[in-house]
Amino acid sequence: MAERKELKNPGEIRIGVYVCHCGLNIAGSVDCEEVAKYAATLPHVVLAKDNRYTCSDQGQEMIKKDIKEHKLNRVVVASCSPRLHEPTFRKTCEDAGLNKYLFEMANIREQCSWVHLHDRRAATEKAKDLVKMAVAKAALLQPAEEIEVPIIQEALVIGGGVAGIQAALDLADTGYNVYLVEKEPSIGGMMARIDKTFPTMDCSICILAPKMSDVGHHPNIELLSNSEVVDVKGYIGNFNVKVLKKPRYVKSECTACGECSKVCPVIAPNEFDAGLAIRHAIYTPFAQAVPSTYIIDMSRCLNKDGVIVCDKCIKACERQAIDFEMKPETIELKVGTIIVAIGADVFDPSALPNYGYGKYSNVITSLEFERLINAGGPSGGHLIRPSDMQIPQRVAFIQCVGSRSDRNGRLYCSNVCCMNTIKDSLLIKEHWPETEIYVFYVDIRAYGKGFEDLYKRAKKEGVIFIRGLPAEIIEDRKTHNLWLIGENTLQKELYKINVDMVILSVGLEPRKDSEIIQRLLTLSRTQDGFFMEAHPKLRPVDAATGGIFFAGCAEAPKDIKDSVTQASAAAARAGILMAKGKVTVEAITPISYAERCKACGLCTKVCPYNAITLNKELKRIEIIEAACGGCGTCAAECPFDALTQNHFTDEQILAQIDAVTEFDAEKKIVAFCCNWCAYAGADFAGVSRMQYPPNVRIIRTMCSGRVAPKFIERAFARGAAAVLVAGCHPGDCHYINANYQTKRRVERFWEKMEKNGLNKERLQLLWVTAAEGERFASKIQEMQAIVEKVSREEIENAKKVFEKALGGS
Amino acid sequence: MPVRLWRAPLDTQKVKPPKAEIHILKDQCKGCGFCIHFCPKKVLEESEEINARGVHPPKIVDESKCILCSFCTSVCPDFAIFVVEKQCKEGCQT
Repeated sequence: MAERKELKNPGEIRIGVYVCHCGLNIAGSVDCEEVAKYAATLPHVVLAKDNRYTCSDQGQEMIKKDIKEHKLNRVVVASCSPRLHEPTFRKTCEDAGLNKYLFEMANIREQCSWVHLHDRRAATEKAKDLVKMAVAKAALLQPAEEIEVPIIQEALVIGGGVAGIQAALDLADTGYNVYLVEKEPSIGGMMARIDKTFPTMDCSICILAPKMSDVGHHPNIELLSNSEVVDVKGYIGNFNVKVLKKPRYVKSECTACGECSKVCPVIAPNEFDAGLAIRHAIYTPFAQAVPSTYIIDMSRCLNKDGVIVCDKCIKACERQAIDFEMKPETIELKVGTIIVAIGADVFDPSALPNYGYGKYSNVITSLEFERLINAGGPSGGHLIRPSDMQIPQRVAFIQCVGSRSDRNGRLYCSNVCCMNTIKDSLLIKEHWPETEIYVFYVDIRAYGKGFEDLYKRAKKEGVIFIRGLPAEIIEDRKTHNLWLIGENTLQKELYKINVDMVILSVGLEPRKDSEIIQRLLTLSRTQDGFFMEAHPKLRPVDAATGGIFFAGCAEAPKDIKDSVTQASAAAARAGILMAKGKVTVEAITPISYAERCKACGLCTKVCPYNAITLNKELKRIEIIEAACGGCGTCAAECPFDALTQNHFTDEQILAQIDAVTEFDAEKKIVAFCCNWCAYAGADFAGVSRMQYPPNVRIIRTMCSGRVAPKFIERAFARGAAAVLVAGCHPGDCHYINANYQTKRRVERFWEKMEKNGLNKERLQLLWVTAAEGERFASKIQEMQAIVEKVSREEIENAKKVFEKALGGS
Repeated sequence: MPVRLWRAPLDTQKVKPPKAEIHILKDQCKGCGFCIHFCPKKVLEESEEINARGVHPPKIVDESKCILCSFCTSVCPDFAIFVVEKQCKEGCQT
């Protein structure tokens, strides 16, 4: 099936090269005209031009015209990152009748002009090299045809918070079947717990409850509450999902009359109320819960192991809905798209001993406050302090608890806490105008529509804002009042303020179980731990894995409005895929040469997707292209050159290495970067204008697992000073675990170098995420020192050791 | 939302679980120990005393913990234990 297909490919190779100025983004530090002139001298290049904006309509039209007029059969554009505009130019080529796999890009912006802003000569030389590499690869490009995969027109939404609810409703209204999986007994998530929303002060549950009930009644939505996703297999359009539905022990006949709960003798803190109110072992978390069916908490119930000791609820239930025999079931779903809306956790402030949370009863979190001020909460909407149930006269809010701190909690800003506090302070003022309110903050971030107005209103109402967080809270043992001690950083003076109650404005953090979802769906996460989108600007709701989308706080902390916006966006993106009904898979699958295959089966062992099987009878391998992720680690593993990867063939990569090492190889670093993390990290270094030495030449592979030892050997045999192999952090691999093969291969290579008396420092391995531009830049700095140390002799030695690698591929 | 629950709920007072009055007919007990073993709240334990049948009948450890499930009555082979709800006219203290 995956035998090499030689598509019709006219004999002479005619390459057109376009060097983009990108305004001054590139032309500012690279002499584009000179690069274009240089490109014209390269083999097979029949035309080389420089222009201001190649991605503009005129730029694209020019390429189309040239393809026809000059009979170009390969196109190279030297401009920004292929991660940005490769799809654009591929389309241009296709429009002009050229197979899109005959297009190649040289990244002279993110990885050249932006990182060598002050060295025009070096940047220009590097740009020339990058163009040379691209031209060398382009000459070997082969047209390819993409296979089509049908898409199942059903969707799975994981998480039933406001984001999951919105996404499910939008998809269901479009006409698709949706499975909504929620871990808790009821959907509603965080929004259901909040009293009012900012900046409009709408009652949160009042605007959410209708949506929740829509989900419950929608003919296209199947709600699986009290359930968890336990397994996901498959690929875009064809996911096989296993959902574990835990028993409720109450059948759907339940009318939510509540008679059972009244007679239940067991009392436990209600998680929904942050533990401030009680519930029974048989309960519903809150009045508006969907599904409204009650649930029995078996960890609390007196009936264990099938022995019915207490049958009060059974007797009280007129509908006979209680069934202690219920068993967990595993439901298998087949869906085409998945929306991840698992939300966020709140920070637990007991990690900060100076605030005394968990020790002083009158120190509460903002989530506890929401339940206290809510009419449906334990105090019926009366703000009371837990120590004596009295209404506090003086209240303090402390901001950034667990956010924006490198010592305690998380580095990032949690986005919602500033406005939440302002809203909360106004709520207090509304009910008890005499209350003194202090807000201790670092910065107030009131950036959204209507936010600044609310902030001004709070100040007008007399809320006192003090810059500088308290260093410590001390409790008065008798009165349980609290002393806040700290520095007012605006007035440069110390304060010591006595209040009745302190509310810690806690930040948001990634769900503890997001690791499970990450593993099941092969997603990547940022340093902060939230899920990473395919592109921060242009594909902000897509996961890098096809067919998966993000909504709500799973992607980053955000308020309700942003969550809903993102959920609708995710639903639209999933809808586009499903409406088409099919998707093409990039033609970067393996190519096998049956005549060389010895049926050793090594490739089948390294494939993360089990897409290669060994047919023992026929002594050959079989490739399931639709299941292939396209990492190319099989091609790197094959010891007989019987496998290679479409569009990243051995010949193409070796040609790139040869192009880099043609001149001044002893000063250069050959870097292999995986498309998703390392290459993106290098791009990020460029976007952030981090400057690093210009002697590195990056070769992009889809995964670091594609880097075969023979590539490294070739680089050293051609006299390269150093080689860098860079990929995603172990565990974060875009191709499940392919980078563990990278690690193994590099470690083995180090051993080989040592055995042959070579300095193993010359081969470096780097794990870097797409957000760690700094890490990439500093690695290049570090390697520069290694390059400078490498002697002529050492280079010659390596050349000799790896001599064999110079032979054909 | 795995929030750590460390406080006693604020509305515990609102719920008044029924108070139990446990009656043990000591001399009817044959000491099988079912009531002690099956009590979900561990209200009973074996006493030191010896009854008319020459066995140790159960004794009450903490009556306030009893939640009136009456499972002890159900499992007792000798009808030697029963529980009734305490009728407190002047309001039950604990």
